[in-house]
Amino acid sequence: MGSPLRKTKQAHIVESALTQLPAVPRLTPVRWSRYSAEYQDPQTDKEYFRKPAAELTEEERYVQELRKTQLIKAAPATKTGSVFEDPMVSKFTNMMMKGGNKVLAQQLMEQTLEAVKRKQFEKYHAASAEEQATIERNPYTIFHQALKNCEPVIGLVPILKGGHFYQVPVPLTDRRRRFLAMKWMITECRENKHRRTLMPEKLSQELLLAFHNQGPVIKKKQNMHKMAEANRALAHYRWW
Amino acid sequence: MVKNHNVFMKLDADPEPAGQGHPCTPARRDFPVSAGSPSLLSPPPSSPTSLPEVQVREVSAALRKPRLRSRRESQAPRPPQARALTVSEAAAAGDVVGGRGGCALSSFLPSALSDLRRGGPTPRSPWPGGSAVARRPRPGPRLTSAGTMLQRMARLIARVHQLNHGRFLHAGTQAPQSIAARLDDQAPGESPRALSRTRECDPANHGEQHEGQHYSISLQDMKTVFPHGLPPRYVMQVKTFGEACLMVRKPALELLQYLKTTNFTHPAVRYVLYGEKGTGKTLSLCHAVHFCAKQDWLVLHIPDAHRWVKNCRNLLQSTYNKQRLDQPLEASTWLKNFKTSNERFLSQIKVEEKYVWNKRESTEQGSPLGEVVEQGITRVKNATDAVGIVLKELRRQSALGAFHLLVAVDGVNALWGRTTLKREDKSPIAPEELALVHHLRKMVKNDWHGGAIVLTLSQTGSLFKPRSAYLPHELLGKVSAACAYCHSV
Repeated sequence: MGSPLRKTKQAHIVESALTQLPAVPRLTPVRWSRYSAEYQDPQTDKEYFRKPAAELTEEERYVQELRKTQLIKAAPATKTGSVFEDPMVSKFTNMMMKGGNKVLAQQLMEQTLEAVKRKQFEKYHAASAEEQATIERNPYTIFHQALKNCEPVIGLVPILKGGHFYQVPVPLTDRRRRFLAMKWMITECRENKHRRTLMPEKLSQELLLAFHNQGPVIKKKQNMHKMAEANRALAHYRWW
Repeated sequence: MVKNHNVFMKLDADPEPAGQGHPCTPARRDFPVSAGSPSLLSPPPSSPTSLPEVQVREVSAALRKPRLRSRRESQAPRPPQARALTVSEAAAAGDVVGGRGGCALSSFLPSALSDLRRGGPTPRSPWPGGSAVARRPRPGPRLTSAGTMLQRMARLIARVHQLNHGRFLHAGTQAPQSIAARLDDQAPGESPRALSRTRECDPANHGEQHEGQHYSISLQDMKTVFPHGLPPRYVMQVKTFGEACLMVRKPALELLQYLKTTNFTHPAVRYVLYGEKGTGKTLSLCHAVHFCAKQDWLVLHIPDAHRWVKNCRNLLQSTYNKQRLDQPLEASTWLKNFKTSNERFLSQIKVEEKYVWNKRESTEQGSPLGEVVEQGITRVKNATDAVGIVLKELRRQSALGAFHLLVAVDGVNALWGRTTLKREDKSPIAPEELALVHHLRKMVKNDWHGGAIVLTLSQTGSLFKPRSAYLPHELLGKVSAACAYCHSV
């Protein structure tokens, strides 16, 4: 057949342009997988399959029929279809993981969410009736909101011009923003804590601060915004 | 020579789904002692002469009995045979409001049972807020007599109603709600989640009707009665929710019944709670401790005997006996907690001997026991000896009748197991060589009278025992054979 290497996007573009020519050796992709090009991604959304046959459109019916003949990759082990699965929490756990110790990372995440919930419950029980309505106790809501508050709107990129690197303000994609928020949170909790404080304790504290738009991670985001504002004049160095 | 007699009480492992309150199921009997009557009114084993051979044999019979059904079987859906019986029973009992209520009951049951199977965590909100109960209730009161059957059916229906949040109830079913309201003493405005709570906060008044329900311990009691008795996760839950709720379990009720009818002129009976992990041994012990504290007994509660045989730093050679080793930290913490819980007795009880601590300090005869405790707390080096003195004096003076003594030890198998402690020359230390363990072993021996001994066997925290071990002979070894326990198991 060919090598079992999957083509990257760039390689795809090039090869489609070269379909007229005889088989050309593929470009070496940056990331590779053991699956070849014909393998399709698995459909892990249960709701997709719960639709009754009558409601499917022509296109969807065709696609489903086609998939019966296609090769499908195996679903990753983290996609469980459980009601408790949260892609953001999984991503955060993976970023916290060190040396492949997923068990430890998951335990830390679980203990963090438990710590957040306990703190909020204690606050709730100590508060008066009016304040109780404003206290959020669901740890997942707090987690999502905290990370959303930490996401920067605009980022800085070092661009080489005339022998110097300039920090140029640049719009960020959603993925990059989420990544930066999580990265800053984890770095902050790893570096700026007392030797004897455990990660769940520190992380729960930082998440609660970020939820209320306070704390060192929010400050870092705001610093980033200020620097972008200060370097506004360099924006035309960007060419994309 | 005093004959040993012990009562072994098994805590049940199988969690029964709520649908098992079934009139057709014969009552499962896992509790060895009161095999004849379903109620707890059988006389406790208090006389030493008539050794309770019957009960001991029943203990062995229960242990020999294989598990009645596996966990998967017990969770299989029950056939809806109850229908006809329920209607007739309901009609007979006359408790249901009108014929319409009876029909509603019968039509309700099968769908209710099937829905219980599905009733799990609410989708999309894995941690719903607002659960005020500190422990999840274990469902499934067993049916023993027809008279209480309807009561329990109604409770089941009320619980199912709570689980369904009214989805399966059509507008006509007023009956289950009225039964539930009548049988539980609730104010009409209370939420359905309070169904598994009871208002009865005094353990002395707990009876069969409170089985499976939670009663709350006041936070004041928590500070005085339980400075150190409860499991650490439980204490965390109490701190988070601001309340301490303990479930009333059947073995605990049985134990309370025996404690209420203790004969203080006879030697102390040893009650041993055993069972698999998570069945409620420690908390049943705490229930008994709470009861005795409310009845004004002197409670000697050792929260976890395993802590005294592992991870101990600073072992000192004992000044009293060169062969033994002292544990100053553990002894002083225990003394502090003992003082908190038994403040009022420390001034009343007087020591009967003179104790010399060192060249300058001594405690005279006739001085209150509080002084010995103070000495142990302030001079940490003498803490272990202070503990030994306290135990000796209490053992001697409980016979006089001024107070009743409860010795409650959690994880008593630690006293006869192995330790992970080593001397400086890396040679292992046997438990007998630890002074605290030596004193506690004497306390747990039933050669004194004027009280009772409640013990728990625990594999959690035990050393060199497999995780599956829970039976007395597995955890205690030869010691359980030395107690009057049938070898034929």
